[in-house]
Amino acid sequence: MTVVANEAVRGKRVDGWRWAGRVFLALITLFAVIPMIWMLLTSIKTQFAALQYPPQWWPDNPTLDQYTALLDPSSDVGRVFLGYLWNSVWICVVTTILSVAVAVPAAYAFSRFRFPGRAWLFYAVLLRNMFPAVVFLMPLFILMRYLHLVNTGWSLVLTYLTFGLPLSIWLLKGFYDNIPVQLEQAARIDGATRFKAFVLIIMPLSSPGIIATAIYSFIIAWNEYVYAATFLNDEDKLTLPVGLQHFFTEYTTNWPGLMAASFIMSVPVVAMFLILQKYFVKALTEGAVKS
Amino acid sequence: MAIATSESGFARRVKSPPPRRNLLQRIGDHRADYLYIAPAILVMLLVIGYPVYYTIYLSFFKTAPSLAVADQSFIGIDNYKAVLGASSFRDVTVNTIIWTVVSTAVSFVLGLGAALALNREFVGRGLIRGLLLIPYVISAVAASYVWRWIYHSDYGVIGALATELHLTDHPINFLDNTRTVLGSLIVVNIWKEFPFAMIMLLAGLQTVPEQLHRAAMVDGAGPWNRFWHITMPHLKGVTLITVLLTVVANLNGFTIPWIMTGGGPAGSSDIWITQVYQIAFGRIRFGTASAYSVILFIIMMVLGYFYVRALTGKNSGREE
Repeated sequence: MTVVANEAVRGKRVDGWRWAGRVFLALITLFAVIPMIWMLLTSIKTQFAALQYPPQWWPDNPTLDQYTALLDPSSDVGRVFLGYLWNSVWICVVTTILSVAVAVPAAYAFSRFRFPGRAWLFYAVLLRNMFPAVVFLMPLFILMRYLHLVNTGWSLVLTYLTFGLPLSIWLLKGFYDNIPVQLEQAARIDGATRFKAFVLIIMPLSSPGIIATAIYSFIIAWNEYVYAATFLNDEDKLTLPVGLQHFFTEYTTNWPGLMAASFIMSVPVVAMFLILQKYFVKALTEGAVKS
Repeated sequence: MAIATSESGFARRVKSPPPRRNLLQRIGDHRADYLYIAPAILVMLLVIGYPVYYTIYLSFFKTAPSLAVADQSFIGIDNYKAVLGASSFRDVTVNTIIWTVVSTAVSFVLGLGAALALNREFVGRGLIRGLLLIPYVISAVAASYVWRWIYHSDYGVIGALATELHLTDHPINFLDNTRTVLGSLIVVNIWKEFPFAMIMLLAGLQTVPEQLHRAAMVDGAGPWNRFWHITMPHLKGVTLITVLLTVVANLNGFTIPWIMTGGGPAGSSDIWITQVYQIAFGRIRFGTASAYSVILFIIMMVLGYFYVRALTGKNSGREE
């Protein structure tokens, strides 16, 4: 009898916790989403409507003017904005390709080989995560000046590549660690060289890891601000985050335009992320939870 | 060539332990292995090694804005004295500690709550997880402008909402008030950061064996006890890494304060990292900024030591 009573009480308590969890989840989802909704709502207002008090909670005359202006190559704003967009795209794509090309062999070596200095090098790779970006700004700026890369996108490619590497290597190593070494051994016994075994057996098996690493590199590069703001001067060389800042200083009161630009800038990363969420989440957590 | 000498790696690992040889011989044995990591090491030496060296070097010199070598003079530890002795250093440090501790603690608690709530199957779980992660992926610059607009002193939506609900009779000035500015920035930082804690902890929760919970339930443990005695001990490793990474991210959190307030008003939202930037690129005092950077390096290295220990502690046992 008492057992049954206990069960019932416990059932109720569990339900209480479950409800608390649901309410909490609803609240925190609102907290996460409302700023983005407000960004969207503002971006479809006219400038006049945006500066009304009390605000129009829902725009009276929704308009896509800001978007068409930003994406129209023949308008002044559009030409500048599309220039930023193009700079961001090529810098991020090149960075991503190079990151994968450099990180894959390094991660494979850290996962499979036992060479002297391996542990030490690996710690060095990880420690990079600790360094504040701003601290590197000044010496890197001098270095880039020396290499004649200042005010070119290549200074950013080199920087993003390097700063993304430690985590990329770490993520990929996690994937390689999970691929049984016997697969390569079997290939080797069948006469494949180690390199061939790597390309034919390991590369295909680790493609989710490679995709995850690529997304990670792309998103980091896409969102980076400090280095881009320091290394680039010419208006036509800027990437989106710095461009956004220039926009703000130039058209201070055009909040709908700024929100529309922020939205356009967020679309590629959010879309990429939502489509490939599974890989991305795996990439983020792979290293930390392996016990 | 990589192929010819490649007997080393696996073959050795599978066989009985190799005979002890000296370091140079062992490096020679493995020379092909280094080819795989050479590109990574080379760019890192260039882009990380050199700047670290140069920062430490500059921190002992008085520098001209042009950074011409001829204008540099060695001044020993004067730059360090200037940094630590500056009247603003104490305030900036207090701000940095508040910023880091509050952001980290609240992000962690919110992330843990969300992770626990998401750690069971229900309709729409994937959607909610996706929505919650969006703040983490979007650019800090875009997020800063969106929040600046939300906090706007005349047209801000929070102020308007508060007036509508008769909580205040005039719009609230969040960012131009020395008392509210740091808190307002911390909210933005938490908004952007809690999803990271959530996703790490969610992955951690999935390693907690279901049987343990069932066993504890049979023994009559309530949800609270199960959380403390089963869930939390399993999350210890992930918690440590998440907290360390969040602390470091916060100490390096430059973009949000810089775009939203630039450290103002009157330095009330200045933290170490915005201060370093101002000294270097605002006042063009590279020597002093370098000394400041070195101090930050040291703090980061101490944290880094714990990070590496947390990350490798449990794995190394398995490998050896």
